[in-house]
Amino acid sequence: MTPAINRPPRLAIALVTMAAVLMLMPMLWVAILSFKDNTALMADTSSAFGPPWTLANFRSIVGEGQVFTWLTNSAIVAIAMTAGVLMLSSLAGYGFARLEFPGRKLLFVIVLFGLAVPEQAVIIGRHQMFSAVSLHNTYAALVLPGLSLPFGVFLMTQYFRAIPREIDEAALLDGASRLRIFWRILLPLTLPAQATLGIFTFFHAWNDYWWPLISATDRDMLTLTVGIAATQMNFAQTEGLGFLMAQAIFAGVPTLLVYLVFQKYIVRAVAGAAGQ
Amino acid sequence: MSGSWKSRASGGWSRWSGALFVAPYLAVFILMLVVPLFIGIRLSLTHGDLFGIKSFVGVDNFTRLFADPVFLQTVWNTVRFVLLTVPAMTVIGLALALVLNYQTRWAAILRAIFFASSVLSVTVVTLIWRLVLIPEGGLAAVLAKAINLQPVAFLSEQALAMPSVALTTIWWGIGLPMVLFLAALQQVPRDLYEAAALDNASKARMLRSITLPSIRRTLALVVIVEVILQFQLFGQPQLMTGGGPNNSTRPVVLFIYETGWKQWQLGYAAAASQILFAMIAIAAMVQYFLSSRKDAA
Amino acid sequence: MTGIKLSGVSKRFGDVPVIDNLWLDIRAGEFVVFLGPSGCGKSTLLRLIAGLEAIDAGQIEVEGRRVDHLAPGARNIAMVFQQYALYPHMTVRENLAFGLRNAKVPADEIARRIEATARSLEITELLQRRPSQLSGGQRQRVAIARATVKQPALFLFDEPLSNLDAALRARTRIELAQLHQQLGTTMIFVTHDQVEAMTLADRIVVINERRIEQIGTPMEIYRRPATRFVASFVGTPRINLVAVHVTGLSGNALARLPDGATISTGVSYSSLPQANMTLGLRAESVRVADSGAGDINGTVRVVERLGDRTLVHVALSEGTLITAEDRGNSTVQTGQAVGLTVDGAAAHLFAADGTAYHGAQQ
Repeated sequence: MTPAINRPPRLAIALVTMAAVLMLMPMLWVAILSFKDNTALMADTSSAFGPPWTLANFRSIVGEGQVFTWLTNSAIVAIAMTAGVLMLSSLAGYGFARLEFPGRKLLFVIVLFGLAVPEQAVIIGRHQMFSAVSLHNTYAALVLPGLSLPFGVFLMTQYFRAIPREIDEAALLDGASRLRIFWRILLPLTLPAQATLGIFTFFHAWNDYWWPLISATDRDMLTLTVGIAATQMNFAQTEGLGFLMAQAIFAGVPTLLVYLVFQKYIVRAVAGAAGQ
Repeated sequence: MSGSWKSRASGGWSRWSGALFVAPYLAVFILMLVVPLFIGIRLSLTHGDLFGIKSFVGVDNFTRLFADPVFLQTVWNTVRFVLLTVPAMTVIGLALALVLNYQTRWAAILRAIFFASSVLSVTVVTLIWRLVLIPEGGLAAVLAKAINLQPVAFLSEQALAMPSVALTTIWWGIGLPMVLFLAALQQVPRDLYEAAALDNASKARMLRSITLPSIRRTLALVVIVEVILQFQLFGQPQLMTGGGPNNSTRPVVLFIYETGWKQWQLGYAAAASQILFAMIAIAAMVQYFLSSRKDAA
Repeated sequence: MTGIKLSGVSKRFGDVPVIDNLWLDIRAGEFVVFLGPSGCGKSTLLRLIAGLEAIDAGQIEVEGRRVDHLAPGARNIAMVFQQYALYPHMTVRENLAFGLRNAKVPADEIARRIEATARSLEITELLQRRPSQLSGGQRQRVAIARATVKQPALFLFDEPLSNLDAALRARTRIELAQLHQQLGTTMIFVTHDQVEAMTLADRIVVINERRIEQIGTPMEIYRRPATRFVASFVGTPRINLVAVHVTGLSGNALARLPDGATISTGVSYSSLPQANMTLGLRAESVRVADSGAGDINGTVRVVERLGDRTLVHVALSEGTLITAEDRGNSTVQTGQAVGLTVDGAAAHLFAADGTAYHGAQQ
């Protein structure tokens, strides 16, 4: 960090602090709304600033059931995709970084090109494919596309490359097979990269919108992200403002909590992602 | 490290064992990225729909698109959106990074606040901001009434809708440029600032002559990344304005979505997605050439 | 049957031949040093023996068994790396056990060997620590322990002392010599430091630009270097090299220095290929005498007092600098005119291609 030489003027800090308050206001607004009774809000939302407050909305969510289904779906998809990406990327990263096989350089370049392909160019094709084998509305459909993200392979390859080759060689002389070297020696040394990639993938899977929107159309198969959107569409008519806000809190708070806990890794993941 | 000592004895097994590690990922890569890409390209050359390819029509979809006023409007909307958001994100992100680049508790808290919004999903973000912007009951409306002003219908006024979406997006994504700039600022060697201080340089001078030149590459990176990201605008207008009012907030991706999954004209949608791909690629390349020419200069 | 045998070994990287048709026999229990400057190919040779690179032609035998087609782990060879290459996430004990576990050695045997090795290398109290918690010297011991615990037929050392500071280096050298005496295993040691080579080796293989210049005992290398390169690479201070014109005198070569002085050598004149050669004289064969009393005359330029001896750098009349040795308590001063007496029998003559010619008795 830059030393006192670069300490910004107090005015700047004050301005930024005010900006931070502005940043928080929308979230706080939603939080307050969720604690109000729906009918009161229908009349006048500014009643949110005063009592009475209630937990009724949260109680209805807990009773509602569907939100929990969505939450479970999101969790399953996010965890499965994270595990899958970590495994595939680590294996491929090791292969590209350390092993010789024909076409290695070419294949790596092709994977690199994959980084440039935006979701829009492949999403229609993917949809067709899954329709053809009637695999929509399954966990497989939600998880598989995300496993092809080239970012993970790129990250792991760079990380493996950075480990001194002498360690591999020492292990070879210790009689270890390539697989053993991967599993017992090198992989444990990549834990920081695993954390970064894992967090990045988890959030990517959890917050994904377009693909789950078009692939999981059954109300029971929706992920939480899509589910929130679905109810949002009809919010004037249905459960009511307070309830909607409670849902938003329900969806947003876990992500915020995970963020606060893993802050270091998340920031690193993001910086690393864009760096590639 | 060559492994052919094995191949001399066992005839080539080891040459391919490395490929075994890469194979699982490559299988998914081909299946989920390469194949769909080519399917999309093929589709863009057809009149296809949900039930299959009706006919092969060559570049007909593309010519139709270039004559389609709705599509052209969406292209213009997207470009407008990028121009609204990217400069703001870059400047604000840099400003935040400059102010918050020191090691105190307070700065850490502030940094955390600015990045927090980035971990939310688009659906939560749009929900939050609708609740701020809607004229009946939104936070802005409540505050306006409190100081005796008329509430504004941000999302249904044609002149305000796109800027509102842009504001939402900036609020959502400001964390990324800030983090990238922070990382770059920390790479600038301290000695440069110390030498400048001994040379009696003012803070403004240091900013201009040391800081900005040192983070030039990150500046280019942030711009490229944001351009690519914002070209892919989708969820915010879909959920906040539905593309309106009067098509003024419909971006290309929303056009693709509606053409493909509401009207089931998959060929047409696929063609639009190819055009978007090309737009993004061109924008990125232009940006890259511009910045590398500046580097060489 | 025992020992290491390299027969016609060749290796190329792309189009560049790095090792070409190399034949080398190493006796069982011998301590051989591959000595040479950076990039000469000595590490490549070591890695070929270890199996970390594949040979393109020829074969390698370890204790009578052909190993060049075997995996590194199957050759019964252990290696100590320059940067030690300890597994960072494992404790010292796990580092030592890893190779044995892969070889399916039973657990109690593993434990026994680790205890014994740790005791002899004095690292017993370090067994539970991680490499990051060890000093450079400690890591080096662990690296050696990891090799020793496998009880291999051959030890390979890749410049293991170069990361240590001078004092530690000298001490470790002695410990390595003792290790060799203790275990009696064949050892191959790669280094660019000729002091390490001279003090540790039973035999030295001097390599320069991927060519073997000479194979011999340290004394042979020192007293009868086969080439100009070997003569100048080994020995501190560096051997004096002076361009001379040679004529015959009673069958021996008489070397005439640029300033006209002559040295009679013990080298047979008829064996020499040309008249213009390079004279090689080690500093200890050139002694300081009074001005006019020696074979050569010159002026003292620099005096280096080492305590046990003094190195006197003397300039001849036309500028050539010759290093001579004097007693430790020498009274020579810079600027002084001195004479140098030369032990001609110890002189070497080098042809233009580097080949060395020596006197009959060295």
